Amino acid sequence: MQRIYIFKRFERFWHWSQAALITFMMLTGFEIHGTYAWLGFQRAVDYHTTAAWVLITLWIFAIFWHFTTGEWKQYIPTMEKAEAVLRYYVTGIFVNAPHPFRQSTLTKHNPLQRLAYLFVKLVINPLIWLTGLLYLFYSSWANWGLGWLNLEWIALGHVIGAFLMLIFFIAHVYLATVGHTPTSHIKAMVTGWEEVD
Amino acid sequence: MLKIVAGFFSGIALVAIVGWNTAGGFMMTEHESPFGVEETAARIQANIQALSDRGWKLSGIRSPSVSVAAAGTNVPPVILVEACSTKYSAPLLAEDATRILSILMPCTITVYKKDDGKTYIGTMNSGLMGKMFGEKVSSIMDEVAKDQEAFLSFDPSKPAPPLIKTRPGGGKGSGGQELSGC
Amino acid sequence: MIIPRIIIGTLIASGLSVGLAISGLAYATANPAPAAALKQTTQDAAPQLDSSTADHTKFEALQADFKSGPEVTKACLSCHTEAAKQIHKTKHWTWEYKNPDTGQVLGKKHVINNFCTAVASNEDHCSACHIGYGWADKKFDFTVQENVDCLVCHDTTGVYKKLPGLAGHPNYETMEWPPKSGRLRPPTDLKKVAQNVGKTSRKTCGACHFRGGGGDAVKHGDLDSSLENPKRYLDVHMDTEGLNFACAKCHVTDAHEVPGSRYGPTASDTSGAQMRGSKEARNPATCQACHGNTPHDSADAKLNDHTHKIACQTCHVPAYARGPRHTKMSWDWSTAGRLDEQGKRIRTRNSVGKVEYDSNKGHFTYDRYVIPEYKWVNGKVKYTLFGDKVDGSSLVKINEFLGGPDDPDSRIWPLRVFRGKQMYDKGLQTLAVLHTTGNDDTAFWKNYDWDKALATGMKAVGAEYSGSMGFVETEMSWPITHMVAPKEDALKCEQCHTKGGRLAGIEGVYVPARDRIVAMDTAGFSLALLALISVLIHGAIRMFVSSRKRG
Repeated sequence: MQRIYIFKRFERFWHWSQAALITFMMLTGFEIHGTYAWLGFQRAVDYHTTAAWVLITLWIFAIFWHFTTGEWKQYIPTMEKAEAVLRYYVTGIFVNAPHPFRQSTLTKHNPLQRLAYLFVKLVINPLIWLTGLLYLFYSSWANWGLGWLNLEWIALGHVIGAFLMLIFFIAHVYLATVGHTPTSHIKAMVTGWEEVD
Repeated sequence: MLKIVAGFFSGIALVAIVGWNTAGGFMMTEHESPFGVEETAARIQANIQALSDRGWKLSGIRSPSVSVAAAGTNVPPVILVEACSTKYSAPLLAEDATRILSILMPCTITVYKKDDGKTYIGTMNSGLMGKMFGEKVSSIMDEVAKDQEAFLSFDPSKPAPPLIKTRPGGGKGSGGQELSGC
Repeated sequence: MIIPRIIIGTLIASGLSVGLAISGLAYATANPAPAAALKQTTQDAAPQLDSSTADHTKFEALQADFKSGPEVTKACLSCHTEAAKQIHKTKHWTWEYKNPDTGQVLGKKHVINNFCTAVASNEDHCSACHIGYGWADKKFDFTVQENVDCLVCHDTTGVYKKLPGLAGHPNYETMEWPPKSGRLRPPTDLKKVAQNVGKTSRKTCGACHFRGGGGDAVKHGDLDSSLENPKRYLDVHMDTEGLNFACAKCHVTDAHEVPGSRYGPTASDTSGAQMRGSKEARNPATCQACHGNTPHDSADAKLNDHTHKIACQTCHVPAYARGPRHTKMSWDWSTAGRLDEQGKRIRTRNSVGKVEYDSNKGHFTYDRYVIPEYKWVNGKVKYTLFGDKVDGSSLVKINEFLGGPDDPDSRIWPLRVFRGKQMYDKGLQTLAVLHTTGNDDTAFWKNYDWDKALATGMKAVGAEYSGSMGFVETEMSWPITHMVAPKEDALKCEQCHTKGGRLAGIEGVYVPARDRIVAMDTAGFSLALLALISVLIHGAIRMFVSSRKRG
C-alpha cells in the first residue's frame, strides 16, 4: 500500500464547490420545476440563477486549468480494461477480487470513470448550460434570430439534463464509497492523497 | 449498541420535529364557506345569537385587514367574529389556576378569503385545547366545541342576516361602511 | 436678497398656517365631527391651489342667474367658442363607436349589456350620465351646441348632480331622490357651479364612471367612489397623499376626446415609453406609455421577460374592488317582478346592506376584493348586438375579447366577468330591449308587465316584439386596469407558478412549476429511483459480504 498525490489543490476546490453548487441547483431547480415547495418560487429562481453564474465562472477557470495543465487528457476515452472494470463492479467487488485498474497521477480515472465523466462533460453539461442560458436570455431570442424557439422545448431539455445529472449524482456518490474503505475515495478527494496497492 | 441508542434518539427528534410542525394544524381547523366573507360572518353571528340560552352573546367584530389596508398593504378581507358565554367563562375565571385561560376569551371565529376567491372559516380546536388543561377545563371546552360546531351550521334557505357591527364590549358600532380594525 | 425672501416666505407660510388653524378651529367647534371635517376641508382645499390663470367668478358672462343648464352652456361658449363642436365628435356625446376591426357599431346607444340592459326607450333615465341636456327620447338633437353639458365634467363644487328621469338636466326645483326616500335635493345653484368650473377630477369623471349600472361600485369593479380619495394601497397613482393623479393624467385628453376605451382597448403596447410632444397616434393611457416595456430594474430583470405574454395589470392589479365598496357580481332579471301580498315592490338587503332583491330588477350578488379571471386578449372585441342570433340554448357573451397564445398582439389580461340572466325575444331570437323606466303605463317599473315593457322597448329600436320572451344566461367582460396596487403588493411569482394558481386556465404558454410533461417526469424520476435502488442493493450485498468475511 502506498500513497500517491492524485488530486491537486485547484482540482479539489473545483470538485467540491461544483458538488455543492450542483446539489443546490438540483434542489432549487426541481422546486422551479414544481416538484415541491421549499424556498418559494421567486427565491428558488433567484438562487438558482446566482448559483448558475457562479458555476459558469468556476467552469471557465476549470476549463482554463484543464487545458493549461494538460489534465484534459484524463478524459480521453479508452475501452482498454473497461470490460474488466465493469465485471469487477458487477461481481469481483463482492468476492474481494483486486481492482483491475491501477490509479496513478497520469491516469486518475478508470476507463468507466473516463466514459462517465466524458458523458457529463460532453452531453449533460452542454445540454444544461445551453438550455439554461437560453432560459435566462429568453427575452433576447428574437434578437438572436431564435424567435422560433419555444420555452416548453427549452424547459424540457433543461429538465432532461437535470434528470441525467441526478442519476449521475446518485451513481457518483455511491461509487465514492467503493474504495478500500467506504471513505477512502472521499478522503482522497479532500486531501488529494489516494492509497493504492 | 451505540447505533441503536443514536437511532432511538434521532427517532424521537424526528417525531418532535414533525409534531412541532403539525401541532399548529391540530390546534386550528379550516372550513370552506359557501357564502361571501360578510355573509358568512353575519350567519355565524345569527347562529351565536340563536344559542343565547347557553349564555352566548356577541362580544365584538373586527377586521384586521382594514387596519392592514389603512397602513398601506393589500390583503384579502378578514373578519373576526367574537362571542362569549359567561356560562363557560365564569367557572374558568373563578379559579386562580385556570384564570389565565382568559387569554382565549372571547371565543373568536375568523372568516377570510383566499387567493382562490373562496371564503374560509377558521376555528380553534377547543376540544383538543381543553384536553391540555385537565379534566375540568376539558369538559367545559368540549361544550364550547359543541356550540362552536352549531355556530358553523348554516341554513342556505334562510335569507342573509345583517352583519352586526357591535363594538367590543357590546356597544353599538359606528355604523360606518368599514369595520373597526384590530 | 435671499435671506429676506426666506423671511418673507416664512412669515407668509406661518401666517397662512395660523389662519388655517384658526379657521379650522372655528369650523371644528361648529361641527359635530371635527377631526373628519377638518381633514375634508384641507383635502378639498387642494384643487383651489390650481395654477389656473382664469378666475371664473370674475367673468361677466357668468354673473347671470341661470335658469337652466343650456343657459350656462351658452355663457361658456361665448368664450370657449369651439368647445361644443369638439364635444359633438366624442363618444361621450354620441354614445356611439364604430369598431374598426369588426365594423360593429358600439357605444352605450347601441349595446345591450347585462346590467340595466339598454338605453333605447329609457333615455330620460340613462342620460343622467350623458354630457348633454334634454336627451329624453329618439328626437334629441345631437347638433345643438347648447345641449352640451359643460358642468358635469368641469364642476369643482361637488354640488352639481344630474338625477335620473330628468333627461340629463340637474334639478332646477326641489326634488325628492331617490323617490319616497325623504331626501330632498335643493335646486342646483347654477351660478355658483358655473363660476367654479375647473379641470376634470376623479370626482367629476367618477360622477358617472364610479356609478355606472345604477349605483356606486356596480359596474366596473375597478372604478368606484373609494377612488375619490384613495389611499396608497388602493391605487398607487391616485393616492391622495402621493401622486394624486387625476383621471386625465393617463387619459391625456386632446380636443375633449378622452383616449383609452374598452370598446377599442389596447391589449399590447410594445412601442416603449411615449416621448412628450410625440405625435404618434397611440393610446396614452396604457401603462407602457409611461413605463415602457422593461419597467423592472436589473435585480428583477426576469420580470421583464413576462411583458410579451402578460399585461402589466395581471400582476399589478392583484384583485379589484379592493376598497371598502362591494361591487355587483351578477344580476338575474328573471326573478324581477315579484310583489308582496299587497302587490307592493319588495326589496331585501344582504349582510352589508346592499339590495339583494328588488322587484324592479331581480336578484343581485356582490363581492369585494375580487380575484379576476384571466384570458388572452388582443384588443379586438366582438359584441352580441340587437338582432344577433340568441336562441336561449347557450350562454350569450355580451362581449368577447378575442386573442390567443399564438397571436403576438395578445397578452394575458385580468378580466372582470359579470354574469347575468336577461330578457330575450324568443320569436325574433335576439337579446331584448326592455322599457324599464318612464311615466307611461308600459314601463316595467310601473306595472311589472314584461310583454308591455318589451313591446315598447323593442319598438324604440325599430323592431316588433314577437310576444314571446324568455331569459338567457349572459356574460360580460371588463378589462381590469385601475386600482393599481403598490409594487410590493403585486402578484407573487408563486401565485401563477404553481399548480392550480391564478393562471390555471390559461393555455398555450409554458409556465414553469405549473406545467410539465408528465411522461418526462415519470421517466426521469423512475430512472433516478432505479439508480438509487440499484446502488442500495449493490451496497447491501457489499456490506453483507464483508460482514460475513469478518465474521
